[in-house]
Amino acid sequence: MSSTAPAAKNRAPAAAGNGSDGAQSSIVLGPRDRLVGQLYVEGDLRVVGTVEGGLEVTGSVEIDDGGRVTGPVTAHDRLVVGRAGSLVGDVRVARLVVQDGATFSGKVSMGKQVEAPPKPVELPAPVAEPVKAEEPVQAKAPVTVVEPVKAPQPGKGQPAKPQQFHAPKPPDRKGKRR
Amino acid sequence: MDVQEAVAESTPVASAEDNGDAKRGGQRKFTMGPNDSLEGKLVYEGDVHVDGRAEGEFKVTGNLDVAQGATARISIEAANVTVKGQVEGSVNVHDKLTLGKNARLSGDIVVRRLQIEDGASLNGHVRMGDIEQHGSGG
Repeated sequence: MSSTAPAAKNRAPAAAGNGSDGAQSSIVLGPRDRLVGQLYVEGDLRVVGTVEGGLEVTGSVEIDDGGRVTGPVTAHDRLVVGRAGSLVGDVRVARLVVQDGATFSGKVSMGKQVEAPPKPVELPAPVAEPVKAEEPVQAKAPVTVVEPVKAPQPGKGQPAKPQQFHAPKPPDRKGKRR
Repeated sequence: MDVQEAVAESTPVASAEDNGDAKRGGQRKFTMGPNDSLEGKLVYEGDVHVDGRAEGEFKVTGNLDVAQGATARISIEAANVTVKGQVEGSVNVHDKLTLGKNARLSGDIVVRRLQIEDGASLNGHVRMGDIEQHGSGG
């Protein structure tokens, strides 16, 4: 029978059979595989296919045999770019191996900061406080006074000093003083 | 590779001045020893072996290698560069850069071919391609 079996029959069954808890994955992206997006792996990853996007792996990453990765790579252990591998992107790794013949361009960060995976920088824009407190508050008092009061005299027995006669204060405002 | 050691044994330190530059197959060689130091700018036609302490700018037509244990704060331009020690500075390599397993390189790299051995440490930006020849513009 001419079996036109789907080529997705990977030789690496480990990719699918890592369901148990705490098990380390071992994923292979084969030569016909293609990933566009972000991939996080607890375990190891081998790329022989094409990846456009970010990779973060708690173990090791190997890119070889025509594997091409375009995007940032974080490997908590080791990144290997083989002689037939290509990587264009910034990397954060603990260990780095680049074989002669490999293609690699990007920024390399090695060191302690690998332990803390880089999280996407979220910048909560600091709320700029309005600094326009220069306005005299009493000028914009809620004018509910309908009648035009020319000279508001409280007239409570005490000789009221003339306040700003053009801005009549409502009496409740005065009572709220503390 | 073994050529360097042969030179290092026969001409212990700072051979460049007195013995003249050691010639190997018509190629001149400037060899520093582990107790030597150099500060400044070196433009050299031939190969340079950096050991001890170096600081400044090295522009070399041949190959440059930084020995294990050497400390170099230099910007490098050379045909091929091999680092086994510690380098801080930009590295422009016309052909190949090799980082040995004890190498520590901190700086930006422009290179055509790159080989990094396991154990090497690198912090910087790597660009593969040809060196732009318009001087030290950036």
